[in-house]
Amino acid sequence: MDRDLLRQSVSFHGENLLSLLKCEQNENPDFKHLASDLYKSLNQRDKDEQSPVLEQFIARKADLLFAPSWKISEPADEWQEESGEAFAVMPPLEQFMEVSFEERRELFYRDVERGDMVIGRINSVRDFGLFVTLLCTAGGLKRDIEDLEIKALCPKREVPSTGNHDDPLSYYQIGDLIRAGVKDIDRYHEKLTLSLHSSSVSPHMEKVKLGVLNKEDLPLHYTRGEIVSSDSNETFEKLLDDSLGLSNPLNVDFLLGKLGISDTQTPSLMRGLQSKRFKEEDFATTIRKKQSVSWALKCVKTGVGHFKSGRHVDAMNEYNKALEIDTNNVEALVARGALYATKGSLVKAIEDFELALENCPTHRNAKKYLCQTLVERGGQVEEEEKLVTAESLYKRALVLDDTFKEAAEVLEKLQIRIQKSLKLKELEAAKEQEKAKTAETSAEKLRKILKEEKRMKKKRKRSTSSSTSSDSSSSSSSDSSPSTSRKKSKKRKHKRRRSSRSSKKHKRRVSSCSDKTAEDDRDWFPAPANTSASYINQNQSISKLMSESEPVWGAESRGRFEEDLERGSDQVKPAGFRSGVNGEPLKVNERVGNRRDSSSSTQSEYSHKSERHSEFSGRNPSRSERAGNDGGKTNSANTKKDLPLNLLDIFSQIAEFQKDKKQKK
Amino acid sequence: MSAHASTSAAANEARGRRSAEDVEYSKTHFRVCRFITETGVKLGMRSVPMATACVLYHRFFQSASLQIYEPYLVAMSAIHLAGKVEEQHLRTRDIINVCHRYFHPDSEPLELNGKFWELRDSIVQCELLILRQLNFQVTFEHPHKYLLHYLLSVRSLLNRHAWSRTPIAETALAVLKDSYHGSVCVRHRPQHLALTALYLALQTYGVQLPRGELEWWQVVCADITKAQIETIMSELLQLYDMEAKCT
Repeated sequence: MDRDLLRQSVSFHGENLLSLLKCEQNENPDFKHLASDLYKSLNQRDKDEQSPVLEQFIARKADLLFAPSWKISEPADEWQEESGEAFAVMPPLEQFMEVSFEERRELFYRDVERGDMVIGRINSVRDFGLFVTLLCTAGGLKRDIEDLEIKALCPKREVPSTGNHDDPLSYYQIGDLIRAGVKDIDRYHEKLTLSLHSSSVSPHMEKVKLGVLNKEDLPLHYTRGEIVSSDSNETFEKLLDDSLGLSNPLNVDFLLGKLGISDTQTPSLMRGLQSKRFKEEDFATTIRKKQSVSWALKCVKTGVGHFKSGRHVDAMNEYNKALEIDTNNVEALVARGALYATKGSLVKAIEDFELALENCPTHRNAKKYLCQTLVERGGQVEEEEKLVTAESLYKRALVLDDTFKEAAEVLEKLQIRIQKSLKLKELEAAKEQEKAKTAETSAEKLRKILKEEKRMKKKRKRSTSSSTSSDSSSSSSSDSSPSTSRKKSKKRKHKRRRSSRSSKKHKRRVSSCSDKTAEDDRDWFPAPANTSASYINQNQSISKLMSESEPVWGAESRGRFEEDLERGSDQVKPAGFRSGVNGEPLKVNERVGNRRDSSSSTQSEYSHKSERHSEFSGRNPSRSERAGNDGGKTNSANTKKDLPLNLLDIFSQIAEFQKDKKQKK
Repeated sequence: MSAHASTSAAANEARGRRSAEDVEYSKTHFRVCRFITETGVKLGMRSVPMATACVLYHRFFQSASLQIYEPYLVAMSAIHLAGKVEEQHLRTRDIINVCHRYFHPDSEPLELNGKFWELRDSIVQCELLILRQLNFQVTFEHPHKYLLHYLLSVRSLLNRHAWSRTPIAETALAVLKDSYHGSVCVRHRPQHLALTALYLALQTYGVQLPRGELEWWQVVCADITKAQIETIMSELLQLYDMEAKCT
């Protein structure tokens, strides 16, 4: 029993209650402990205010009323903006009761706590902080404090800075309404310290915005309180009856939730209605379940009768009816599974048996039928050459029933078959691997070259101005920018269209590569590509690349580029050998543009170039995977992208490769 | 003189008989309402539909006689009807199952055969009867929403720690729920009932509320007097005494 509560009650009611308690609660061991304490806390109460009936009631029900388990409410901690629609928001009761000034002030200072929110008006701005006169409470307490003229200080350090380098206090003016959290209270001196940092309010109110408010943001209980104070006819009753929230049919549920009490298990003080007196078997859901099970069983019995007489359709109907009445009824599932198996729908049969076993793992028939069906199904599947599936089916059958000889036999035969097929596959794989080797090594070397190129680009980036590059890099790195997303989507569409078996891993790699190359790309072409200025940059970079990468480039990449360039070489050649080098980048881009069906805007050119880079870098890993597989279009398109990178370089190599190819052929 | 005396004696006797009957009736009503509440708990009914069921029952027997109508059947139909009115639809099958088990403890659930369907039909018929008897006025204002709003207002008057350690809400709601065992729920305004329940709870724990020009209960219900509160309170508390006599 809660000692403090008992003491409070006894001191309120007096001796009578104590004697009644002793009388009624004699048997109660909890009470005996506390009885001695209670003698000390007795007040003399007025005779006419005593209520013997009530005292009798308290005494009789004391074991319930003062039990620690009686308190079941757990108030919801979430702070909700009270809109007056879910329930009626009323002004503080103090206001209606006309509690005296002194008492209200005293109660406020007694009950306000750190972390509460208050709203006040700024009445002076000093250099050490703001002085605020409180208008109303806004969270944690609900009191009528406007006329109490409580002044509080919000020191300068509790005012968050506004981002500019000005004095944060200059943002606030006299007469502003602000919402602040109570940071500290000096109850003795009746001083309050406020704060505008969201850390100063209780955790469940953290999301509420502190700072300057408009009149519309004032809490509802305050605004309605103003209506009451201006109109003397408004009583509590009238205001409540006129509230929209009172007519909400769900306000009871909402408020019970707010107080933390469950609606289906409301407490009672009647002895017969205590929750421990209710048995689980008496509840509606339990009885219904039992009833459904027996009803379903009846249906299953009639169904089995139909089945035995050969009326499969009727039997199926009965089983389905049974399952509707009682889903996952074990008997019905087993019977239906047997019917499916007989008809030949083995997969459905297996599903039903598995479900039945889930619900009742010891069902003998279910196990037996399941094993048989699994073996049969395994046989079917084996004929379809899905050997691994068949193996798993047989294994499952054995797991369920390890005495099932047929399953063991079939499993053995299957395993032999699997071993044979595995050996065959190994031989095939060995052959493929040899083909793949040559391609792989050249792919690795290409990757090295690309990395070097990227390093050089980065060096160039550092030498150029910082602001534009930082902007562009930040914009390109953020996925939200439309061009990068478009780039990526184009690129991805491309990949999906072209590569049939690209793995997820290399896509990720590609996107990470593309981020970097996109960045580089942006920096590389600060001016639109249509002007000759960009070409000059390009030329410069190419010449640099040529000088640095030539030794690497020379002899190694032959094998790979052979296939790629071969197809593109015809179209490339005329472009390469044109005298006006100016035209080249444009031409290739246009062609690339045509291929992609995109406009020849600068953005698309940028995107193409970056795609080129990325696909170039991305393609290499993919090529190694698709060893020996001519990707057809892929490679030729790649060629187009590769070209402008090392234009002169490649052109010089073409002749070589063609010669080599002819040799290989 | 003697004739006068004999008629007054007869009148007294009649009154005595009637009050004895009334006592019997109120015991029956208490038992049936206990049946309704228990069934409601087992069906997972919320507080407001349960209150509606009890009020339907009480109102029905304000005008109908217990000699003619079977109270338990009326109770079952009242539960069914209340579920419909308060939007917590209950299946007739569940009501029959729970009630059957109430009368035959630990029995097997009923078979869904002819007898079952007959029971269902009788519930539906009785429901129509209740509707006619009450002139189809089956929506009521219940004290629950008033009580909850009053609880919130009173909570703001108290220190938050005092509130969290005093089970005022639980006691008030319990008293309100138990008040449906008797006809007190239909003889007073819902606001008054809510107020009295809260008053009772506060008095039980000896909670001191701040005083102003007006007491909190005077503010909440302008037309109620202390005496009225006391009357309702004693009626409520009498119900607890009845429990000992009836069960």
